Amino acid sequence: MPSTDVFTTITLQHYLVLSAALFMIGLTGVLLRRNVIVIMMCIELMLNAVNLSFIAFSKFSGRIDGQIMVFFVLTIAAAEAAVGLALIVCIFKRFREVNIRFFEHLKG
Amino acid sequence: MTADAFIFWFLSLITLGSALSVMLLANPVYSALSLVMTMVGISALFVTLGAYFIAGVQLIVYAGAVMVLFVMVLMLFDLRAELQAFSRGQISGALKLATVGALAGLIGGALLLSAGNVAEPSMAEAAKLPPDASKALGIVLFTRHIFGFEALGVLLLVIAIGTVALARAKGGTHAKH
Amino acid sequence: MNHSLLMAILLLSPFVGFLINGLRWRKNGPNLAGGIATVAIFISFICSVLLFVDLVSMPQEARRIAVTFFEWIAVDRLKIGAGFVVDPISAIMILVITGVGTLIHLFSVSYMHHDKGVAKYFAYLNLFVFNMLILVLGDSLVTMFVGWEGVGLCSYLLIGFWFTDREKAAAGMKAFITNRIGDAAFLLGMFVLFMTFGTLNLHELNELAPTVAEGSWLGAATLGTLLLFIGATGKSAQIPLYVWLPDAMAGPTPVSALIHAATMVTAGVYMIVRLNAMFIAAPNTMMVIAVIGAATAVFAATIGMTQWDIKKVLAYSTVSQLGYMFLAAGVGAFGAAMFHLMTHAFFKALMFLGSGSVIHAMHEEQDIRKMGALKKYMPITHFTFFLGWLAIIGMPPFAGFFSKDLILEKAFASPLGHPLLWAAGVLGAVMTAFYMTRLMALTFWGKSRVPKEVHPHESPWLMTIPLIVLGFLSVVGGWIGIPHVISAILPGHPANILGDWLAPMLKVPLSDAHHHLDAATEWTLMGISVVLAAISAAVAYQFYVRSPETPDKIAKALGPVYQLVSKKYLIDELYFGAVINPLIRLSKNLWHHVDVNFIDKITYVLGDLVRGGGSLVRTLQTGNMQLYAMYVGLGLVAILSFVLMR
Repeated sequence: MPSTDVFTTITLQHYLVLSAALFMIGLTGVLLRRNVIVIMMCIELMLNAVNLSFIAFSKFSGRIDGQIMVFFVLTIAAAEAAVGLALIVCIFKRFREVNIRFFEHLKG
Repeated sequence: MTADAFIFWFLSLITLGSALSVMLLANPVYSALSLVMTMVGISALFVTLGAYFIAGVQLIVYAGAVMVLFVMVLMLFDLRAELQAFSRGQISGALKLATVGALAGLIGGALLLSAGNVAEPSMAEAAKLPPDASKALGIVLFTRHIFGFEALGVLLLVIAIGTVALARAKGGTHAKH
Repeated sequence: MNHSLLMAILLLSPFVGFLINGLRWRKNGPNLAGGIATVAIFISFICSVLLFVDLVSMPQEARRIAVTFFEWIAVDRLKIGAGFVVDPISAIMILVITGVGTLIHLFSVSYMHHDKGVAKYFAYLNLFVFNMLILVLGDSLVTMFVGWEGVGLCSYLLIGFWFTDREKAAAGMKAFITNRIGDAAFLLGMFVLFMTFGTLNLHELNELAPTVAEGSWLGAATLGTLLLFIGATGKSAQIPLYVWLPDAMAGPTPVSALIHAATMVTAGVYMIVRLNAMFIAAPNTMMVIAVIGAATAVFAATIGMTQWDIKKVLAYSTVSQLGYMFLAAGVGAFGAAMFHLMTHAFFKALMFLGSGSVIHAMHEEQDIRKMGALKKYMPITHFTFFLGWLAIIGMPPFAGFFSKDLILEKAFASPLGHPLLWAAGVLGAVMTAFYMTRLMALTFWGKSRVPKEVHPHESPWLMTIPLIVLGFLSVVGGWIGIPHVISAILPGHPANILGDWLAPMLKVPLSDAHHHLDAATEWTLMGISVVLAAISAAVAYQFYVRSPETPDKIAKALGPVYQLVSKKYLIDELYFGAVINPLIRLSKNLWHHVDVNFIDKITYVLGDLVRGGGSLVRTLQTGNMQLYAMYVGLGLVAILSFVLMR
């Protein structure tokens, strides 16, 4: 019964599809949302999606290196969030605004 | 339906649902709270994959520290629900959605293609990681990846200083008017 | 102390001084800046003395302290190290440079006291000394060339020190460009020598020099040395490249004393003495050097007789005296060249500083027609200048007498010499006596022509002390080279110390052994030049003190000849007409036709293409970051589709 196998037997594919879906949601948010802070959150979402696939690969290939990578990504993501938020605070102090529509000064 | 499969589906539902609400909810505070939920879901997924240590770090760093930062900034700005939460341009919006769709289709296609090629082991068959994976992780981290680890430490120090400097700056590089 | 440390301190002390003053030139006041600079040079002087003492204690044949700090260039056969050598020749040079340099720095502290850029001035001066030390100590032509260019740069910077005055800035450029012509020849000479002998190390070149005189004009040694000599005519202001030196008087007077009298301009002579074995092997070059030297000595002296600017007179006198040094080098009397180089450094530095003192007292007035009778206002300056005057006109027993006499003797007696060269030398000496006496008379003696509003005064002690020390040296400096005929009647004084000191380093002319003059001839030659010079000085005194109207009458009587000489033979105008203006015209034509119509067009077309392409692509650059993120996404799509399609 291959039709129920998909639901009962969890394979690497399941995790990868889930990861891809999370990534796409994050990407959509980054592309469409206006609030800079929400965009930052969506970026975190994308990073987490990637982490998930790393862990899944690590699990199904039986190697620990995927987890090491995730460890690094986590740290970098935290750092990125800190810097990004500091920048947003700066921008907010200057413009009193977090809507990305107002930050289109780098026009060609 | 085994317990494995049940937990996976349950957690996927929660994670995807809360991720969607991060992306869709107009009030950024709700978005932030949904993000916390997503993080917790992903952390639980890590547990199902046997990455206990990473799951713990995920909870502490993301659901704890990073999210507190986000919420604090939101509170600092005192933002209400936005009237214009999404980009307005119809053409550009359609283009963006098309890009996302194309990318999703491509990734899905790639996954399908690879599924045909390689026989994937199921969860039960794939449990090859040592039971004390955290210990193994620690050993590898401090032997083979020690340079990366130390470099990360330096990076964090730089980030800490840089963030303080940025946040203290008196607003932008332009003269005030 | 070991030698490499001493050498390092010797070289780096002025450089450190340069850095300190150069980096703080807006902040350091005159006393601080001058103090730092003077101390830096004085430290170098102490190192020089220590090295000199070490050198004296060595056996005569082994007098050579060589230090190589690191390998600088190593390409195939070409191996150049940052190597520096102290041997009898360079020891004299570093003593003169640092010794006279210290005195001139000291003088400058007071002279430049009111200048705004005083720290910059001292920084340049220290940089100059650093480069000059590299020039004289360098053990290869390349290291020497580094210093050679470095002193050229400092000379340019210091001539144009008051660059807000267009004329002075132009004088700096003139010096630099004229020197560049010589430097190009110097480089070519280096290439020829390297191609032939495979080395540029001075010591090795001297060892490898042909032992048989080269007859042809195109032999490697002749061609190489000839090109090097052209380089020397640039740096040492000889015909035909001397034109920059008189204009170089636009710089501060102590600079003229240090760079344009005592040290830099003698670099060409020094280079020839360093490479003496190679030059000896090329008699044709030697002949050219001797003739050019003699011609310059006479030519510059004639111009010197007609100048009214106190510094210009001294400048032409310097050109003329450098001519003597080249005359000596050209007849193979390298020792005599070095001797005159040293004594000239003493008395010419003295006279320049003295003129600086006068100019200072006269409130920047340089025209000797507006001076006169300064003797009673400035006794110390007058007395020291008087000593320098006696030295330069060659009165025994002052320094200039011994060195000039040695040169004239060699010009007469050396196998490479000729009685005509001697005659030119004597003529030059006679004219030197005339114009120097004229300078003395118009400046210090006779009736005062000083304008009423100017009140001359003696300079402060910081300026007079260097004058006194240099005056003392101008008297005794020559006593280390007393000829044998005189020492024979002067019991207890060793003859010709300097000659013996330099002897192991120098080759004698190859053709035949040095035929020694008998004492009677030597006395006669000496007598002729001294008596003629004395008569000439007396005539000048008669003209300019007793009956000041005579010179004008003579000038009128000579008419066009006098006009020609006083306008410096119109050499500058000739160069402008024959070389510079045609070059400018050619450049302008190239600019108007080739550059504007052709080369510019190409760049314009390219620019328009880029701009057109840019305006097309610019529409993508909306400033909307989310669109940029979408572009990244599209890129991902492209990459993924490419991978999947394969």
